[in-house]
Order: sequence, then structure tokens, then C-alpha cells
Amino acid sequence: MQNEVILKVQDLSRRFGGVRAVDGISFEVKSGEALGIIGPNGSGKSTLINLITGFVKPDKGAVFYKGNNITGLKPHKIASIGIARSFQTVKPFYNLPVYKNLIIPLYSNRVKKQLKGGCMGDRDEAAMHLLEEVGFERESNLPYKITGTLPHGYLKKLELARCLCLDPEIVIVDELFSGMSMSEIASAMPIMEKIVAEGKTLIMIEHRLRELFRVVQGVMVLNFGKIIARGTPEEVVKVEEVKEAYLGKEGETVA
Amino acid sequence: MFESILVYGLVASAILLLISLGFSITFGLSGIANLSYGGIYLSAGYLTWYLINVLQFPLFAAALTSVTLMAILGALIYRILIIRVRGNIMNEVVVTFALGLATMELFRFLGFGGYGFSLPSVASGGIRILGQAIGFQRLLIIGVAILVALLLWYFTRRTKTGLALLGMAQDEYTALSLGIDSDWSATYSCAIGAAITALAAVLIFPLGVIAIDEGYKVLIRMMAVTVLGGLESTKGLVLACIILGYFQVTVSNLASPRWTEAVFLGAILFVLAFRPSGLIGQSKELEERV
Repeated sequence: MQNEVILKVQDLSRRFGGVRAVDGISFEVKSGEALGIIGPNGSGKSTLINLITGFVKPDKGAVFYKGNNITGLKPHKIASIGIARSFQTVKPFYNLPVYKNLIIPLYSNRVKKQLKGGCMGDRDEAAMHLLEEVGFERESNLPYKITGTLPHGYLKKLELARCLCLDPEIVIVDELFSGMSMSEIASAMPIMEKIVAEGKTLIMIEHRLRELFRVVQGVMVLNFGKIIARGTPEEVVKVEEVKEAYLGKEGETVA
Repeated sequence: MFESILVYGLVASAILLLISLGFSITFGLSGIANLSYGGIYLSAGYLTWYLINVLQFPLFAAALTSVTLMAILGALIYRILIIRVRGNIMNEVVVTFALGLATMELFRFLGFGGYGFSLPSVASGGIRILGQAIGFQRLLIIGVAILVALLLWYFTRRTKTGLALLGMAQDEYTALSLGIDSDWSATYSCAIGAAITALAAVLIFPLGVIAIDEGYKVLIRMMAVTVLGGLESTKGLVLACIILGYFQVTVSNLASPRWTEAVFLGAILFVLAFRPSGLIGQSKELEERV
């Protein structure tokens, strides 16, 4: 299945009032590819993700997943066919214990067959395993705390764990690293690398370019709702338009 | 006197629990404050009366039919009305409140206001507890209230649908991103809430008569209990029912039964003024306002 186009976006557009948030964007992502999306604030990155995952309806254009047109499908349908996403502003189930945030998706039809046991059965263990993987120490009582009491960095990690619960084929993370401390980012990096190594398709919106470029092979740069560059990290930082729009001096140091 | 308060306070608490579980579960599972349940309660009463007295249904069949039809009605109320204002809490409250009042007033308009309507008890007779005579119907209410509360506890913690609903009440977008169908979940939660409210009606109406005022009383009690107990905790709800149930019976015994309604209205005002997030709820309001 490697190197087949898994996601194809065709002439996707959406306006909010007079603003063209996403303006005729077309691109393809191959199965197993890790794609970074960068661009200044307000360039349309999050709207693009919302359009792909069904949270916002496009004015025109289409999204194809494995060759099937999924444009206009409801978000829960898109999630259940294997496209998982995180939210830029964390959206956990605040009033539930942390592990329940994962128990709920572990009941979804996508992963139901892989988990045995009665009521909770394997789910408790699967949830604990995932939490441990993203950096919740098993010995700590963090998994049992009410989610709203956690520090922000942990909520970001939980956001990632929740995506992975669905055993997705495409993982889309929206500014996962922002709000994380340097050490938290460092501990999240291996997880991102593992997602790619497992052959999942990864789409990362990220402002932390140094870390992003270690994970992804390709980068797409947006500005004013349009793609202004696409290529390898080394290629895009050399594009004059990109430097002007976004990278400034940092781009040179990264390259 | 003391024994009487002890026993009848328990009955009053169970009645409160049974009438507020429906409202509370709908809110807890989908975040919808559905105030139409006063109307549902009354509709279930009159419908059961009609099935028994006009269509000659046996009591059990009539009760079952009522509960089922009210569940369907609850689902329809969501699909037709609430779905259009979903997400705007103010509009949800207004539309369901209006519907509840309209239903109750419709019965008055249709001539159901008199005192000729009552439902038969499941079982007549009773036993003595602590020297107090207590009818089987009241014992049944206590049993069913506890059973329904336990079933709901199990449903929201150990079943797929229950957990999905719980997630949706917490954050609709997140639930959607996890493959949970928000509109169907909310439909279920409204159906479950209406069914429990109808069950309450079928069990509680035999203790008195079916009258329009009962719908309003249920609405006020529902609100008093949920305001005192906080909207998100089952523990708080049960505690609020016990406090208000015993308080109501004490006041009724020491002063006069006429003060009963004042207990509930007073509780609403008192709690909103001094502990707006309920007994157990954490007071976040002040922090946010400052």
C-alpha cells in the first residue's frame, strides 16, 4: 500500500465572510508519508484540517480518501474510516478521569474487534499502555486524576493519545508542540517518529520547525489560503516567498 | 414523629430522585437542559389513564405503552425542535420550557383540569416499618428509584452507548472527532430522559390524582434538585434528593403541608445565591468572574 495516494485534496475552498480562508488548495498525500504544513497565523492551516475532517463544509472542491469522495461527510463518519485529528486548543473530556478520555474512543467500532473482554476487559490496559506511551508515568496517579486538573503539557499529550486510540491510518495533529515545554517536546518526538515508522500517514501543522523537520519528509507552506511552496524542508526554506511570508531569519538558521 | 419523618422522608427522597433522574440524565449525557419534562410527566399520566379507562388496557401493559410512547415523543422533540437550536443553551431552555408549558396548558384547555383522573396502584396494602404504615406503592417507588439510578450508573460507565453519550456531554467536537454521532446520541439521551420521567409518572400518580398542577410541581422539584445537586454529579443529585426530601417532610410535619412548595422554591433561590454550582460542584464561577 506504500506510495499509493491515500488522501487527495482537489481545489478546496472556503470563505468566512469576505476572507478566503482556504482558496483553491489541491494536494496529494501518499500512504505512509509524513507531511508538515506550515504558514503564518491565519494562513488557513487549521481551516484546511477542519475541511478535510468534516468539521467545516467547503464552498467548493473535494476530498478523496483512498479514492472515495468524502467531501461533506459528517466528522464522526470521517473519524470512523480512519482519519484521526487533534485540536489546536486542547479539547479533552475535562470532567472525566484522564484514562476515561481513552476508554471512550476504545469503544468505537474501529478498534472494537481488537479488544477482548467483557465490560472494560482489555480497554483499561490498552488505555494505560497508550498513556504510558505518550508520557504519563504508570506509577503516578495522573491517569486517574480529573482531566481538568492536569498541566497543559499533559493535556497536549492526551490529545495525541486520543488520536492514536482510533488506530487511524491518517493522523492529523494541529500544533501539538505549542504550549509544551522543551523536555515535553523532546519526549513527544519519539512518538511522532514511531507513528511514521509504523507506516501511518502523518500530517503535522507545526510552528516548531526544527522539530517538525526531523519528523517529516515533505513540507507544504500556506499563506492567505493558498499553497505557496511544497517540497522537502531544505527546498522550501530556500524559496524566497516563504522566507518573506513566514520564516524570516529563523529559516536560514534551520536550513 | 421522629419515626414518621425518617420513613416518609425516605419516600419523599425517592420520589424526588425518580422525577429528577430523567432531566438530570439528559443533561448529563448531552448537555441539553430539557425543561419539557413537566409536560411529558403529565402526558404520561393522562395517556396511561386513557389506555386503562378507555381502551381497557391492563395496568402493566398501559404503563409499558406509556413509557415507550413517551420515549419516542422525547426523541421526536429532539429531532424536530431541539436540533434546530442545539448549542445555544438559552434557546434550548426557552424552546423546551415553552413546549412543557404549552403541553400542560393544552390539557387544561382540553378539559383535563378536573379531579376525576387517577391511576390505580400496582399493589394495595402495605407493611409497617418503625411503627409507620407504608403502602406497597411507596415501597415500589423507593425500589424503582434505586434500581433506575443504579442502571443509569452502570449504563454511563460500562456500556458503549453510555460512554459515548458521556463523552458527548463533555465536548461535542471531541466526541465527533472520535466517531461518535452527536445527533443520534442526543436523541437517545432525550428518549431515555422522557422514558424515565414517564415511568415516574406511572408510579407516582397513583399516590394522588392526576392534575395540571402536578406537572408544574414536578418541573419545580426537578429544578430544585438539580440546582442543589449540581448539574454534573450523580452523587450530588442523590444527596440533594435526600436533603430536600427530608426537609420537605420535616417542614410538612412541624409546620404545615402547605409550606411544601416553598421548600423547593426557597431551595432554588438559596442555592443560586450562595452556592451557584451546587453542593458538590466546585465553585469555579467566582474565580472566572474575578
